[in-house]
Amino acid sequence: MSDKHPPFFVGYLPVPAGLRGWLLVACALFVAGLAALGMAMGTSQDDPGPGAFRFDYGRQTVTGVIELTPYPLVRVTKGNDRILPGTTLMLSGQGKSNVDARAIPLEGQLAQVSGIVLQRGTLNMLQLRGGRNGISGVEGAAPAQETKALGRWQLAGEICDGKCLAGAMRPGTGIAHKACANLCLIGGVPPVFVSTQPVDGSEFLLVTGPDGEELPKTLYDYVGNFVSIEGEVERRGDLLVFRADPETAGKVE
Amino acid sequence: MNEAEAIFLAVRIWGYIGAGVALLFLTVGIDRVDEDARGAYIFRPLLIPGILVIWPLVLWRWYRYETGPENWSKRYDPPRKAHFAVGLILPIALAVIIAVGWAQRQTWPADIAPVQLSQPAEVNQ
Repeated sequence: MSDKHPPFFVGYLPVPAGLRGWLLVACALFVAGLAALGMAMGTSQDDPGPGAFRFDYGRQTVTGVIELTPYPLVRVTKGNDRILPGTTLMLSGQGKSNVDARAIPLEGQLAQVSGIVLQRGTLNMLQLRGGRNGISGVEGAAPAQETKALGRWQLAGEICDGKCLAGAMRPGTGIAHKACANLCLIGGVPPVFVSTQPVDGSEFLLVTGPDGEELPKTLYDYVGNFVSIEGEVERRGDLLVFRADPETAGKVE
Repeated sequence: MNEAEAIFLAVRIWGYIGAGVALLFLTVGIDRVDEDARGAYIFRPLLIPGILVIWPLVLWRWYRYETGPENWSKRYDPPRKAHFAVGLILPIALAVIIAVGWAQRQTWPADIAPVQLSQPAEVNQ
């Protein structure tokens, strides 16, 4: 008879006596198993590091010279307590968008920029406010800005999008972030190379094509992977620019 | 076109087709296949996001209703019969996916130092 009427669990009825022990064991194993899996996955992840939107700084407004690498930069000439003169800021728009249309007409000129800072170590980016509130030309002669060539280097590391890396995503690196990074790059967000070890004091380098053009699309396939690549390095303020040669790119096994 | 652009384009095309299906189904089809929906309109925009994603299933179900082979009493037989297999396959698949993800993890090549191949050629002002 018991085979014909096995105990049957119904959520809103008392647990049948024949299932009580089995349910307790199954629930305990289920909860413990999920906890163990969560612990294993959490502890095996790399530390995402200190990159973040610096909302605690509040809106920052500084003045500087607009340069194109071709990705627009601001070489800060008149800063504030947070952003000192000599700082070089990469620029981005909201989300995965660039500010080319607003910045290119101001190349070589003094401009006031305003927005929220993203910061990871020595890497600084400013997410601009909309329209002329975010960037506008100001009166005055733009002081000459030095670009210091540092020679040709072979670097190992990872190509990322500068915005997620600087703090928009945590983590903003690795294979799991590859699609997001590529969408940012398609949107014109400045790409950044993370070097395994510092080059001239910095492990972050804005990365462009070998002749100073936008990142070649052949390098998109390497984004998120650990790669070795050669190119010319130059210093613009506190930011290094890496003119990567796609012919020399290879994955590091 | 690189891989990311191809994925983006595919998702966009999928969404455009889904929008077309949603427009057609919510203005014409739903009245033909669900008598309870006739005269009810406010809820229909709520279905748009779902139709954008699963529009092939919407078209298939619509076709089945229109052509007559739909048998309401047997509608849920296939998913019920698949419960045990799915319940078994799903956790195994999740475990495999996690294991493959762990196996594919890269090791940061921290021991590879930057190498200067040549000295700077010039200093620009």
